[in-house]
Amino acid sequence: MGKYFDFERFIDTIPKIIPQLSVTFSIVLVSMIVGTVLAIAVAVLRIQRIPVLHQILGIYISFMRGTPLLVQMMVVYYGLPLLVQGLFGININTWSTIIFVDIAFILNEGAFLGEIFRSAILSIPPIQSEAGYSIGMTRLQTFTRIVLPQTIRIIIPSYGVDLIGVFQNTSLVFTIGGVLDIMGKAKTLGTATGHALEAYLVVALIFIILSLILRFLFFLINQKLQYERR
Amino acid sequence: MIEITHLKKSFGKQEVLKDVSFKIQKGQVVTILGPSGSGKTTFLRCINFLERAEEGELRIGDTRINLRKASRKEILNVRRRTAFVFQNYGLFYHKTALQNVMEGLVVVQKIPKDEARKRAEAALEWVGLSNRKDFYPSQLSGGQQQRVGIARAVALNPEVILFDEPTSALDPEWVGETLDVIKKVAKKGITMIIVTHEMSFAEEVSDKVVFMDGGSVVEEGTPKEIFTNPKEERTKKFLARIIPQDMYYI
Repeated sequence: MGKYFDFERFIDTIPKIIPQLSVTFSIVLVSMIVGTVLAIAVAVLRIQRIPVLHQILGIYISFMRGTPLLVQMMVVYYGLPLLVQGLFGININTWSTIIFVDIAFILNEGAFLGEIFRSAILSIPPIQSEAGYSIGMTRLQTFTRIVLPQTIRIIIPSYGVDLIGVFQNTSLVFTIGGVLDIMGKAKTLGTATGHALEAYLVVALIFIILSLILRFLFFLINQKLQYERR
Repeated sequence: MIEITHLKKSFGKQEVLKDVSFKIQKGQVVTILGPSGSGKTTFLRCINFLERAEEGELRIGDTRINLRKASRKEILNVRRRTAFVFQNYGLFYHKTALQNVMEGLVVVQKIPKDEARKRAEAALEWVGLSNRKDFYPSQLSGGQQQRVGIARAVALNPEVILFDEPTSALDPEWVGETLDVIKKVAKKGITMIIVTHEMSFAEEVSDKVVFMDGGSVVEEGTPKEIFTNPKEERTKKFLARIIPQDMYYI
């Protein structure tokens, strides 16, 4: 067995894990982009308080925020094929596992970011919309040109925190069969060699570096977007 | 010409406007006076559909619009023919003074950007703010912000501009410059409806003065009639309360 921790082995493990970052990044990228679009839609629809839909979205959000992501992933992975089979008679069991992971992450982000967007939109003074309407803009123009840009400036810090959270959440995806992100790779290496600690430390190091980079990045974006202080 | 007939509006059980009718000729300046809570601001907001009236009809030019049932298209049509100057300026926080003025020209009137920029620059120069065109609202004083608001309204070249207490939120030192700009707008011959508490300004600038109280028009007439010889008891009382204070300020 040798030493419990070996620095050389640690170094050797790094290049074996790094390539799997692409899997991690792809999950984060897809879930953030589609999740943000979903979140804006959820936020806007919630604010409109359309009967029935409002309650359905309320249940969706409380489910997403009230259950662990791991559970949500399992529900999507095992439940969605049954649902689709039952409703449309289509077999989606053949889909790649990563698609189910993406769907679970997107739904999760739609709820979390949706609430962030909702409170940010509500914090924009109504006079901003009224001014848009008064110059003859449509509701859509007023939302996309006046309200949304101001909303984005408000949510940048929370968005950054959320993004870092999503990165860390990807460490759960290996529990669903066949997804080899950095965490999944570390586990496989650990099983194959009998030395798990080095691989997990590499993963930890990657997450630390990523979160530091992202924090710095969002700090810069936030600075740049403060129109009051330019 | 703009005419509003039988306008009614309530907030919950509170009846804010009780059957208000109102007429303004092209090029006229009409000021609406009255104690707070008399429904002046609500009246103005109903014209621009920032509040939805329960009853009433609006005639603007040859168009007749039911104030309660107006469709989105009709509302847009009215808003594109009018402009609104807000008590709290209502400038877009994330846009510079120039962009604030350009926004409606580019997005609503579809004027090419270069042309819109020229017009916006001219409008800002006209209100004396060319040197502030790249400033954000938060970098401007209240008076400057309101002048941008007026430039934004004027640049749209509307048939009527609605002013909702344009100087009420301003520090006293900025009131004068803002009123001067509004007088300039009046001289241009633009139709204006102004809700204000500035009595001497109203007397100077108006063709007609409307006194509102308790959600109704109590009295209307020329500035001379209203200020020197009011007929209604409520108008007399209101003016007696307001005018000495006004003079005290000056």
